[in-house]
Amino acid sequence: MTNGYAIVLASGRLENIFAVSNIASVAATSEIPVDVFATMDGLEAFDSETVDSMDFEMGPVAEAMLTSEDADVSLPSETLAQAKTLGPLEMYACELSMDMLGKDLDDYEDVFDGVLGVSGFLKRARDKQVVFV
Amino acid sequence: MSDITPDVVVDARGAACPGPLMELVGEFRQGDSGTVYELQTTDSSSSHDVPEWVEDTGNELLDIDEHEDEGYWSIFVEKV
Repeated sequence: MTNGYAIVLASGRLENIFAVSNIASVAATSEIPVDVFATMDGLEAFDSETVDSMDFEMGPVAEAMLTSEDADVSLPSETLAQAKTLGPLEMYACELSMDMLGKDLDDYEDVFDGVLGVSGFLKRARDKQVVFV
Repeated sequence: MSDITPDVVVDARGAACPGPLMELVGEFRQGDSGTVYELQTTDSSSSHDVPEWVEDTGNELLDIDEHEDEGYWSIFVEKV
């Protein structure tokens, strides 16, 4: 039995964000602890203006997911917010990335538990399997 | 066709993976041990993946019905 996953989400590509949100969310529903550290472009994908305008870097799979007429595909931020009510999933925003852009948590979708630097994240990741995306 | 009578029906038809599982788990959290759920899903991947979750979490998969004409699956699960 794993002690959980510590996922570093550094990619802003929508396919990668879908993959992280789905895996993190399903793990959490199985009572597997997951910490997601959104940094660099991975954090900016949760910027509320980016989400509102759907201005993501994406390829054909993500385009197909967003335009599917046969299936209702939830956005990553929606899936993660739901998963946080169902299991041990915590989301952290990278302080460095935010500082560089002069932003605070209010600029992002309401999925984050707090702001962390690298040391804070590594402390939480110590007993978990680290996954870098 | 299953003759199981569920206590709770979770209609997740139309939702893509992992939406159906999330909706099922949301109901699971509120139910007692022994409660029988029917998850209805049009999502093919969920029809395979939800049973994996059921097995992994130690709950009991009772049956899976495919309603070919209507294009959805019914997955019957008992909360252990």
